[in-house]
Amino acid sequence: MSNAPELDIDITVNYRQFNLAISQKLPLTGITGIFGHSGSGKSTLLRAIAGLESSVQGEITLNDQCLINSPKRISIRPEDRQVGLVFQNSRLFPHLTVFDNLNFAAKRCKHSQLTVDEVIKLTNLSSLVSQKADELSGGQQQRVALARAILAEPKLLLLDEPLSALDQHSKNQLLKMMLNIQKKLNLPILYVSHSLDELQQVCDKLLILSQGEVVDFGNIHQVIHQLNNCDNSDDNATIHPQTSLSLTIKKRDNGHGLTSLAVGDAQEIFLVANADFEQHSPLRCFILASDISICLTEPTNSSIVNHLFGTISQITHQVNKVLVRVNCDSQEFFVTISAFSQQKLALTVNQQVYLQFKASAVRTFIH
Amino acid sequence: MNPDLQALITTLEMAALTTIILLMIGTPLAWYLAKMTSRFKVIIEAIVALPLVLPPTVLGFYLLIAFSPEHLPGQLWQQATGQQLAFSFSAIVIGSVLYSLPFVVQPLQKAFEQLGDSLLEAGALLGAGPIDRFFSIVLPLTKASFITAASLGFAHTVGEFGVILMIGGNIPGETRVLSIALFDHVEAFDYAKAHLLSISLLLSSMLLLASIYWLNLPKKNNTTKLNHRIKVKEYTSHE
Repeated sequence: MSNAPELDIDITVNYRQFNLAISQKLPLTGITGIFGHSGSGKSTLLRAIAGLESSVQGEITLNDQCLINSPKRISIRPEDRQVGLVFQNSRLFPHLTVFDNLNFAAKRCKHSQLTVDEVIKLTNLSSLVSQKADELSGGQQQRVALARAILAEPKLLLLDEPLSALDQHSKNQLLKMMLNIQKKLNLPILYVSHSLDELQQVCDKLLILSQGEVVDFGNIHQVIHQLNNCDNSDDNATIHPQTSLSLTIKKRDNGHGLTSLAVGDAQEIFLVANADFEQHSPLRCFILASDISICLTEPTNSSIVNHLFGTISQITHQVNKVLVRVNCDSQEFFVTISAFSQQKLALTVNQQVYLQFKASAVRTFIH
Repeated sequence: MNPDLQALITTLEMAALTTIILLMIGTPLAWYLAKMTSRFKVIIEAIVALPLVLPPTVLGFYLLIAFSPEHLPGQLWQQATGQQLAFSFSAIVIGSVLYSLPFVVQPLQKAFEQLGDSLLEAGALLGAGPIDRFFSIVLPLTKASFITAASLGFAHTVGEFGVILMIGGNIPGETRVLSIALFDHVEAFDYAKAHLLSISLLLSSMLLLASIYWLNLPKKNNTTKLNHRIKVKEYTSHE
């Protein structure tokens, strides 16, 4: 039996036009993403964990501490749950300054280990402390909301689409900050978003919700690859088919403005170098399935820099196209080709093929 | 002591005590109404608003009957205090509380509704309990509505006549308030004294209302305060 800290959820929330039924154990490590479209129940799930939903039936246990057990009529009040929540709109107190907003949380924290000054430094808020909350930009408000939530020193931090109203620059800034905070404080985070891009940048695991139910849960790359097989015509959680990767940087710049990433022991792929890349560290990136093509022979006379050798492990027929899964040194790649090409090449499972794609097709989240 | 000065003191004592009681009763009642989703909400709201449309003499008549020693409220009061409730200072305070209730409950209810739950939820998740949330979030953000409610409750109590005449009579130093004193002067054709009392009441009421409007002047990015000006207009139009 595993003793790893976890959040055990077994609840139903019933409304007239919407039902949520979740039975899932989530590990309390790193950042776990929750993805789904509007109305899938993402925010309701977070509100139920935080104790803000009154019609929750069932049980939620946070690291062996019961938060709710409706059969036993136990329901811990939100103020006693030690669960933090950063909302889509920052919900800062408009009558208080930034410092007073932060102090509001610090004063009420029962086992305070962090000081307001430490958190101000961690979230780069030094220049804003004397300003009123409603004088800040959206990005600044969310930074303050994040800092305030941390100062309450929760056992679990919930983020409910905190970046949805921000511009790209503020999003990137906050995502970096979140990763930094998570690592420094070792704080488990559940991060809700309808943007897969955001989740791919920071999450280790991913939970997919659709119409109030869990569709999939697991390693983020594997779950995204599972989504590739979803039928795009249905309104469940669907994405552009892609290969989601986290690969180690072998060489930051090969002298031609390209960075190389290790694929298994023997192969590598190239992408356009960026000053923010760090040698030998893992890099998260993705390649759209439509950006990769298949060759039956090694394409030696091509300007396309990325050639990978692999074996077809699955062929899925879709409307007028085919999704091909290719295993290259234990790394799965997904390729979309037309049904016509598939017929012409007579592709079959276990067939050995070469994949090719441009360096620019390898997309990162660093802008 | 000058009878008019005595009436002024009685009036101020009655209005001050009534306002304090109204805030103590009106705040939880307004909170309950603001958060209530039951279908019975409209019934409670109608009961609270009744004094706005009911002739004061009707309310006064029923209170007079209830306060008499022949009926349960009057009997209970007499058993507890040893004194008769009808035609006492306590009776006019109780009557004023009931009569001015909507002037305190309605502005507070609207303010609590406007405030919503979002900031309170944020406060709860930061470890603030219900009482803490009320004093650290609700009160500072609805301060203007509390001032409006207290001022309207006080002003309306000062201007009462019908209810007080029915349940308090005209006992100097006990139930004789300014509006009753003014009525006495008019009945005695002492128009000089009636003018003096009238102009004093008129000017003090004007001053009070102007102060409320000034306090509720719209400020940048403060929608709660912005809407209070409209509310003050709504409530004062009932006067």
